[in-house]
Amino acid sequence: MPQKQDILDRLRSSIVTGDEEAAKLTTREAIDNSVDPVEIVEEALIPGIAEVGGKFERMEAYLTDMMMAANAMKAGMNIALAKIPREKIRRRGTVVLGTVKGDIHEIGKNILSALLTAAGVDVHDVGCDVPASVFAEKAEEVGAIIIGASALMTTTLPGQKDIADYLNSTGRRDKYSLLVGGGPTTEQWAKEIGADGYAETATDGVKLALRQLEEKGSGPFER
Amino acid sequence: MITYLDVIKAIHTGRICSERDFDLRVFAPKLKEVLKAREIEYDPENPVPDDDALADDLWSAAMDFYCDVGTYCLDTERIVKFDENDITQTLKTAPRQFTFGEEKQRKVLIQRRPEDIAPPWCFLGAGGAAVSSEENLLRLVQGYASIPVIDSLTSPALTTVEGTRIVGGSPLEIYGAIRAIGLARQALSRAGKPGLPIMNCISTASSAIATIAASQPQFGLRPSDGWLCGTLAEMKVDYGVLSKGAYLLSWGANVCSETAPVLGGYAGGPEGTALVNAAYNILGTVIQKASYQLSFPIHSNFQSNTARNTLWAISLSGQGIARNASLPVFMLGYLASGPMTEMVLYETAAWVIAAVASGTHIEAEGVCKATHVDHFTPMEPGFAAEVAYAATGIKRDFANELVKTLLSKYEDKIKDAPTGKKFEECYDMTTGKPSEDYVRLYSKIRKELEDLGLKFKY
Repeated sequence: MPQKQDILDRLRSSIVTGDEEAAKLTTREAIDNSVDPVEIVEEALIPGIAEVGGKFERMEAYLTDMMMAANAMKAGMNIALAKIPREKIRRRGTVVLGTVKGDIHEIGKNILSALLTAAGVDVHDVGCDVPASVFAEKAEEVGAIIIGASALMTTTLPGQKDIADYLNSTGRRDKYSLLVGGGPTTEQWAKEIGADGYAETATDGVKLALRQLEEKGSGPFER
Repeated sequence: MITYLDVIKAIHTGRICSERDFDLRVFAPKLKEVLKAREIEYDPENPVPDDDALADDLWSAAMDFYCDVGTYCLDTERIVKFDENDITQTLKTAPRQFTFGEEKQRKVLIQRRPEDIAPPWCFLGAGGAAVSSEENLLRLVQGYASIPVIDSLTSPALTTVEGTRIVGGSPLEIYGAIRAIGLARQALSRAGKPGLPIMNCISTASSAIATIAASQPQFGLRPSDGWLCGTLAEMKVDYGVLSKGAYLLSWGANVCSETAPVLGGYAGGPEGTALVNAAYNILGTVIQKASYQLSFPIHSNFQSNTARNTLWAISLSGQGIARNASLPVFMLGYLASGPMTEMVLYETAAWVIAAVASGTHIEAEGVCKATHVDHFTPMEPGFAAEVAYAATGIKRDFANELVKTLLSKYEDKIKDAPTGKKFEECYDMTTGKPSEDYVRLYSKIRKELEDLGLKFKY
C-alpha cells in the first residue's frame, strides 16, 4: 500500500499542475487507502490550490493555470466532501459573481472567481450580460453572503446600480454585501450607488471579499 | 482568399466547443507549446528588444498558433478555422494602404517598420475615456484638434445626455452616441479641421445597434472615419462585432480590429501576451477585414500598460507585426497616473518611445487608466506627439536605454499611482489654455528628455 504522505503529495501536485483526471484518481486512491477525507482536503487539495494562488500573485502562474488548478481541486473536493459528514464541512462562505447586463467582458471576473475558489470560497458564477434579478435570485437560491458585480464599460456601470436598486426594492439589500469592480468602477461610484465595497484588481477583490465574509460571521475555513 | 462571407458561414459550421474547453484545452496548451518550441522568453533587462530574428520568430509562432487555434465565436460556440494556405494567401493579398479623413485632412495609412524614419500616425485624444458633460467633450476635442501633428481623433466617451446617465444597450446609448458625434464634429470644425477622421467610432456606443444607428451620415460620421470592432479576450468574437463588420464593410468603411490581450489573463505572461497580440493582427486581416489594428496589451493587476513587462510585449509584438504584416498596427498607451503629475509624462514618454522605435503607430492615450471621469487633458496626447516625432528614426538600443531610464522614475509607483487633477483644474475653461503650473511641469520633463539625448523636432 502506498504511504499516505506519498498519496497526499501526488494529489497536491495534481492540483498544482491542474490535472483534473489525476486529481480524481488520486483522491479516490486516498479514500481507498483509508486516508481521512478531511486530511485529503486540508493536507492536499487546499495547499495545492493555495500554492497556485501564491504563484498567481507573484505572476509566476496565470489565469489558465488558476482555472485548471481550480477545476482539479473541485473534482477532488467533490469526491472527498461526499465522505465527510455534513456538519463537519465549513466553507468560507458563498459568493455570486457575474458581469452586469449589457456587458460581455468577463476576464477580470474569471480571475476573481478562480482566486476566490482557491481561497476556499464557494463561488457561483452567473456569467456575463446578466440582469440584476438574476444576481439577486441566484444569491437567494445558493444562500450567498456576497454579490460581486463586474462592469467593464462606462455605459454598463448603471447595471451595478440596478442590482442595488433591485435588492432595495425587494427588501433584501441588507442580506448581502454588494461588491463592485471592473475598469471604470471607482470608490466614489461604489459609494454613490450604495455598494458595500469596491476593488480595483482581482487580488484586491479577494482580500475585500474575505474581509466581508469574516465580518458577516462566515468564519475562516475550518473543520 | 478568405472572404467576409466565408467567415460568417464558418461561424455556423466550425467545430462546436464550449468556451471553457476553448480556453483551457485549445488556447492555453497551444500557447505554451509554441512559446516553448520557439524559445521566446521575456527579457526584463531589455524592455525594447533589438533582435530582428526574435521579432520574426514571434510572428512565425503567432502564425503557427493562430492556424491551430482559430477564432472562437461566443454566440455559436464554434471555432472558426481556415486552412493555413488560405490564411497565408489572404494575408499576402490583403490591402496594404488605407485612406482616412476628408479634404485637407485626408491621409493614407501604411505599416511602419522598426526604426522607421517616417513619423507614426498620431491618433490623438482621450482613448475613449469618460467625460462628465457635453461642454467638456467640446472643449477637449477642440484642444486635441489643435495639436499640430494630429492625424486623427480618439474622442472621449460621453457619460450623460443633458444630465441623464447613458446606459449601455438602452435607447439612451443611441442618443448619447449621436450627441457625442455631433459635438466632436462641431469641435473639429471650430479647430479648422472638419475633415479630420475620428478613428474610435463610436466610443459612446458599446452595442452594434447603437453604432449602426449613429453611423447614419446625417449625424456626421463617414466611412473614412475608423470604426471600432472589438475582439474579446482571447481570440474571440461574437455576433455583435461580426454584425458591425457586416454593415461597415458593406458601407466601405474602415474597420478597426480592437485587441487587448491581458497580461496575467488567458494570454499568460509577457511572452504569451506578445504572441497573442501578434496573432490578433492575423485575426484582424483574416476574420475582420480590418484597415488597422488598435492594440492595447493590458496588465491585469495595474489596468495600465506602462510596466516593464507590458512595454516589452508592446515592443516585441509591434516589431513582429511591423516587420511581417500588412495590417498597420497602432499601440494605445494606458497610463496608471493622471494629469499634471511628473509620472504621467514619464509614462507617456516611455510607451511612446517603445512603440515608435518598434515600428508602430500611436493612439495617445488612456490617462489615469481611462477610468477616472475628466482625468485627462490635451496636454498628455500633445506631449505624446512631440515625443513620437522626436523618437522617429531612433535606434532600438537607444530607445531601450531611454525607456529603462524612464521606468526607473515611475515603475515602483504604478500600483498606487497619483490620479492627478481633473481637466477643469488643469485648464482655463474660458481660453482653453493649460495652467502655468502644467506648462512649467511639461517643459521640465521635456528638458529632461532632451538631456537624455532625445532631439525634439518641434
